[in-house]
Amino acid sequence: MTSVPGISVDRASKRFGDLEALAPVDLDVRAGEIVTLIGPSGCGKTTLLRMIAGLERPSGGSISIDGGTPDAARKAKRVGFIPQSPALLPWRTVEANARLLLDLNSGANPPSPPDPIELLERVGLGEFRSAYPHELSGGMQQRVGLVRAFALGARYLLMDEPFAALDEITRADMRHLLAELCEPTGAAVVFVTHSLAEAVFLSDRVAVMRPRPGSIVDVIDVDLPRPRRPELEDDPKFFALESSLRTTLMTGAGRE
Amino acid sequence: MSERRSNAVVWTVVGTVGLIAFWELIVRALDVRPMVLLAPSRIVSTFVDDPGPYVHDAWVTAQHLVYGLSISLVISLLIGAALAAVRPLEHASQPMLVLVMVTPWVAYITSVVLIVGSGQRAVVFLVAFVTIPAFVYATVGGMRSADPSARELFSSIDASRWEVLWRLRLPSALPSLFTAMRFNIGLGLGAAYFAEGAALRLDGLGDTGRRAASFSDGEGLWTTILCTAVLGLLAQVTVALVERSTLRWHQSQR
Repeated sequence: MTSVPGISVDRASKRFGDLEALAPVDLDVRAGEIVTLIGPSGCGKTTLLRMIAGLERPSGGSISIDGGTPDAARKAKRVGFIPQSPALLPWRTVEANARLLLDLNSGANPPSPPDPIELLERVGLGEFRSAYPHELSGGMQQRVGLVRAFALGARYLLMDEPFAALDEITRADMRHLLAELCEPTGAAVVFVTHSLAEAVFLSDRVAVMRPRPGSIVDVIDVDLPRPRRPELEDDPKFFALESSLRTTLMTGAGRE
Repeated sequence: MSERRSNAVVWTVVGTVGLIAFWELIVRALDVRPMVLLAPSRIVSTFVDDPGPYVHDAWVTAQHLVYGLSISLVISLLIGAALAAVRPLEHASQPMLVLVMVTPWVAYITSVVLIVGSGQRAVVFLVAFVTIPAFVYATVGGMRSADPSARELFSSIDASRWEVLWRLRLPSALPSLFTAMRFNIGLGLGAAYFAEGAALRLDGLGDTGRRAASFSDGEGLWTTILCTAVLGLLAQVTVALVERSTLRWHQSQR
């Protein structure tokens, strides 16, 4: 296998018993690129993300990260995973939670990972370093979750609907913050979401999925300039992309 | 101290004083025989007249309780961690755990003495043995309750089994372990008192209590009973304090 930087999904499929959760799909994520998986519930987007993360094995086809297996990437801590719930450890302070992924399997840490305290300050949680998760709001908890993944200094970030449980205003703030955090790192991101606005605002490309069985219907390029700033969401081009994405999504789901 | 908190203290004191007054009153009014129930005032005067032997006995019993519970906790954590990780093992161990829980230890103390010998070893063995099931169930249940998303997060960077156990599963089991500890203090103290009386020891509250009972010495018997209760109370308060500082993050302590 040649060592090409990036994630390569090659006819990867997944069956759970008799259920075909994901038909064979192809997807390439280049280094530094942000790709969103969007689609209705049951379209296999989380399954695909979990397979890339090495948390689930494909039933057919293959997935490679930088030319190696997802398992090898997991062992080398090259992937920062952000689950749907913040999954903070309630007995650890905010700072200790932000350091969690560095404390575990520490032999595989990069030589000079980003400073979690600096990251906490950047997301506006500098004053909450000694607080416990139960003292934070849902949005603040998810910000700690982001810091925890970014502190790993990983080349790949996999996010499974991290803002799904937040209210609309907090959610908008979070996608703006995420864009800001991503830009300087040059990390490639695979982002699973239900939200059209999140998909358009964050992505370089959006993979639209449909269910029964899960598959990728179309991959849409988002040619909006970077850096992306909140004002972009008032731009006619943003609305046009959002609208075209909605149409693709509806067509994919069989609702024209 | 908040008003609600100080109210709670006031009512606890009222309840305690009320209970003691009611107890004293019943014994005096009905002229209850000392072997059946001794008035609190007479228990206190028996203790104050010659506290030395009771304090010594309480110290011996406290040691039995602490040794027994410590051994039980260590063994239970090892067993519990193994059972939480391997489900077939959990099913296989159920008959043994249930058997230990439901079999009356009063019945098999003679076998215990025959197996491990009389004296301290038999007492500590019984305390440890009877308290294992509650600790094991608490460990298994608590470890299994670890947040599945957090487990996935650990797995996403290939955390070792030891890291998962030490940094995720064990802290997740702490709340249920404290609950089990509170329950086991009562159980262990009962087992220690009984075993001291039955295991041919020459000290400990249980031994003094048994000898007092055989001489129809109601004052001696009830003083050992109250000393045992005070010991249990002190143990409960100690555990509650440790729990409060260890589990500050848990909803039970907020």
